[in-house]
Amino acid sequence: MKRIGTAAFIVMLWGLSASARANPLPGGQCLTCHAAEDAELAELWTTDIHAHAGLGCESCHGGDPTGETKEAAKGRGTGYKGAHSPMDITMVCGGCHADVDYMKERKPLLPTDQLDKYWTSEHGKLLKKGETKVAQCASCHGAHGILEVNDAKAPVYAANVPATCGHCHADAEYMAEFAIPTDQYEEYVGSVHGRALLEKKDVRGAPACNDCHGNHGAAPPTIDAITNICGTCHSYNAELFLDSPLAPAFEARSLADCVACHGKHEITHATDDWLEDEPGGACRKCHETGDEGSELALYYADTLSSIRMSFDEIDELLSEAEERGIDVTEGEDYKEAARQGLMQARTLIHAFSKPVMEEKVSEIAANQAAALEVGYAAINAFEERRRGLAISTLLLLLLTIAVAIKIRTLPPLD
Amino acid sequence: MSTSPENRDRAFLAWLKDRYPITQFAEWAEHKTVPVGRNAFWYYFGGITLFLFLIQVGTGIMLMFYYKGSADTAFESVRFISAKVPFGWLVRSVHAWSANLMILSVFIHMFSVFFMRAYRKPRELTWLSGIVLLALLLGFGFSGYLLPWNELAFFATKVGTDIIGVIPVIGEPIMYVLRGGEEVTGSTLPRFFALHVALFPALLTIFIAAHLFFIQLQGIHEPEVWQEQPEKRKTMPFFPHFFAREMLLWLITLNILAVLAVFFPAELGVKADPFSPAPAGIKPEWYFLATFEFLKYMPAHVGPIEGEQFGLLLISIGFLVWVLVPWIDRGRHPTITKIVMAAGVLILVFLSIMTYLGWAA
Repeated sequence: MKRIGTAAFIVMLWGLSASARANPLPGGQCLTCHAAEDAELAELWTTDIHAHAGLGCESCHGGDPTGETKEAAKGRGTGYKGAHSPMDITMVCGGCHADVDYMKERKPLLPTDQLDKYWTSEHGKLLKKGETKVAQCASCHGAHGILEVNDAKAPVYAANVPATCGHCHADAEYMAEFAIPTDQYEEYVGSVHGRALLEKKDVRGAPACNDCHGNHGAAPPTIDAITNICGTCHSYNAELFLDSPLAPAFEARSLADCVACHGKHEITHATDDWLEDEPGGACRKCHETGDEGSELALYYADTLSSIRMSFDEIDELLSEAEERGIDVTEGEDYKEAARQGLMQARTLIHAFSKPVMEEKVSEIAANQAAALEVGYAAINAFEERRRGLAISTLLLLLLTIAVAIKIRTLPPLD
Repeated sequence: MSTSPENRDRAFLAWLKDRYPITQFAEWAEHKTVPVGRNAFWYYFGGITLFLFLIQVGTGIMLMFYYKGSADTAFESVRFISAKVPFGWLVRSVHAWSANLMILSVFIHMFSVFFMRAYRKPRELTWLSGIVLLALLLGFGFSGYLLPWNELAFFATKVGTDIIGVIPVIGEPIMYVLRGGEEVTGSTLPRFFALHVALFPALLTIFIAAHLFFIQLQGIHEPEVWQEQPEKRKTMPFFPHFFAREMLLWLITLNILAVLAVFFPAELGVKADPFSPAPAGIKPEWYFLATFEFLKYMPAHVGPIEGEQFGLLLISIGFLVWVLVPWIDRGRHPTITKIVMAAGVLILVFLSIMTYLGWAA
């Protein structure tokens, strides 16, 4: 077993030396010794973005990478710093990444405000107070195998962020002393955002933790910030809500705008049932049956229900016409326009205004009526085709009979 | 002199006779006969094919009034024909159904000629011209299928031209020319349109003329048994007896077309998108299904040859033997005749089974 291990180590070293020959990585004598002791470290180093940028171990840890003995490499006068404490890590990383002049020459497009933001985050604030369990740079980015953010293997790649945050925040034991919930990850995974990111891999559209909480400046959003955060993506909904009569009412009652109805990490797909005047309905959280808000909710529920029922009729009619081979593309176009209208109507709910909704509903109704008209015209056309076929068949039959009679009147064959 | 219609007709006939050999033509037509017997029914299929071709020409010209043969406009123009042009749906559906019935009819015609051994001397060239006509009609079907530029047609054309590309040496250049590039794109459509409405009709007209010319010169093939038993020989005049019966079948065919067009109008489907993945269940038209299915059963490799190439080689050899049947079975050796007839039955069974399997797959 030992021999196998030695052989594997030699092969790995050979592999490392081969890759070093192809594209030599910095690390010098540090790597020669530490790679032999720590295979995982050696493997991580081959992918590290800093290693490929030519930064050796001494850039963070100090020491002399040319020293062939431990004393020569780490001894007095070499500037050797050894392993870093969490606070040291932020300062070492920030030493370069917060240095505008340094970064401008090496990675000009990379922001340099990460450290400043970090000190505004809950993590940074607690670290300053001496709490070392909080996340610092290496907690999320890793230490020796740091990858680009857009590398799908990076822990800070969009689809990996929930698991990276959840690594601490979903660990009830680890988080026990901080007195905050640890079910955010579980809730997020089942949410509409979580499914879009983790199942559909929508890394550009679906938000991960950092899209709402910030990354280096991660902190729980304040109530006032909620609409702006959700509105980053759902801008029209946010605009409608802020102009609606509900915005000041929410403010007066210190209700978190979007969150009050939609929830936070557990956000599910909003359905028309939310508007129903029944216990558990979104509006019933604040309104009571018969009040102005409840009446509006009832209007929304009835209107949307009526629109949905019309779609059933349209679908049935157009399918029937299509089955009979009649082109109903025009009807499908009207139906699609009405469907778009329905989506817009659902968004317009956030205006909490009956006249605004009525205008949209009349537009939807017009498109639905046009789709139905096309459907009925198609069914009529099919009936006309059948009548035309009956007439032409009759004419052809008469002609056929005439020819048959002619054949019978021809002179008999020999 | 009276100017009654009858007198006007006579005057016109006299005018024609004065200028053209009308009398000889009338005499020839009067003496033209068609054999009568238990196989006589099959003689009508040549005429039915011709009738369907004439319908194709008529409806094809009408479709061209509105069809726009480019990738950006083809689908929309066919939709316009189907939805907006008065009776456009009828013309398009009749064109599509007539194409299918024509190919069915031409297959029936070919196999009836085969089993009646009408390909034998002196009708070898009639057989050959018939084979060319069959190939041209298949070309019409293949090129016409793409013209609506819908998803199914697009991918079926891709598969079809892929198969052509498998042919060694000449396959790839032919595929490239047909596609107008390495892939089926918007450049392919105008090429198929040009083939469908210009080259193929011109060639078909020439070969139909040759085919009919050979038949008029040599007369219709008579059953072999009449050579040994001339007393059994029975014929009917082409005009008016056979012609009237043919008319009867043409009227019935027309009515069948009308019924099919009303109850099963040609579908259009979804517009072709060259960048979308191929939908499941892509199949060619039914008359290519047997070849398509047969190639699917080929292994990856047969010796040094790729499976598909081997399959195409077998089909090509089979087709060549079919073309050369008049020279293989000259009627001199009953054993050869029996083998050829048995092979014909096997081919018919094979094509039917493969077509069914392809359809059911």
